[in-house]
Amino acid sequence: MASQQSAVAAMVRVRLFAALRERAGWSERSLPLAADGCPLTPADLWRQLALGEAPPGQAAEFPATIRVAINHAFAPADTPLNPGDEVAFLPPITGG
Amino acid sequence: MDAATTSRPRLEVRILSRPFQPLALLEAWQSQSAATAADSPAAEGHFIGRVRGSTASGAPLEALELEDYPGMSETQLQAIAAACAGRHGVGAVLVVHRVGRILPGEAIVLVAVAADRRGPALRCVAELLEELKHHAPFWKREWSGGHGTWVAGNTPL
Repeated sequence: MASQQSAVAAMVRVRLFAALRERAGWSERSLPLAADGCPLTPADLWRQLALGEAPPGQAAEFPATIRVAINHAFAPADTPLNPGDEVAFLPPITGG
Repeated sequence: MDAATTSRPRLEVRILSRPFQPLALLEAWQSQSAATAADSPAAEGHFIGRVRGSTASGAPLEALELEDYPGMSETQLQAIAAACAGRHGVGAVLVVHRVGRILPGEAIVLVAVAADRRGPALRCVAELLEELKHHAPFWKREWSGGHGTWVAGNTPL
């Protein structure tokens, strides 16, 4: 039971919005945090999920136009993630 | 109640998924600002934004679709309203933002600020509007000729 709970807790929720969601073809996923002892960041997730427009096999830099939110607050793309975090990738904002 | 509590600005932030009448909301907000006409704030600044009838490329617009990030959009609007109100020392702020499908001519955003003087009231409205256009997570998609196109950036000031 305890191991089951820690397995659930060691996940992050990833959310995509607007044009980014439609390009990827999904809006929300739960992923395990990296288990190699190295803390996972939103930029790592961006590469893992191949969310950029670079051709397959080419490591895409995290784009300056995309903003990251962790648990509903803006955060740098290299912020280490914690179990249970909700990470959102936000395309350029066009409200108002 | 201490002085700090009584001088805290009154902030009201609403995200609406149905059409709204900005003047009716403004009137309701004004009636909460003062018990009597003599208590009314000396200055108010207002901005009403409406959906224009054409797309960025000049084609006739059928509708504008507004997407938000439920939870974060409201939190950000609150934070922006509080920060702007604090910077300009105003008494009350109202921010109303539409989401969903919005037709040309319908209101998309309403910002109102009550203050003791016109300077802070008008400057706070202008600053709050620019802040929310750049830092509150909302995304526009223009529908024209049956096709939807995500808007790439804000229109010029």
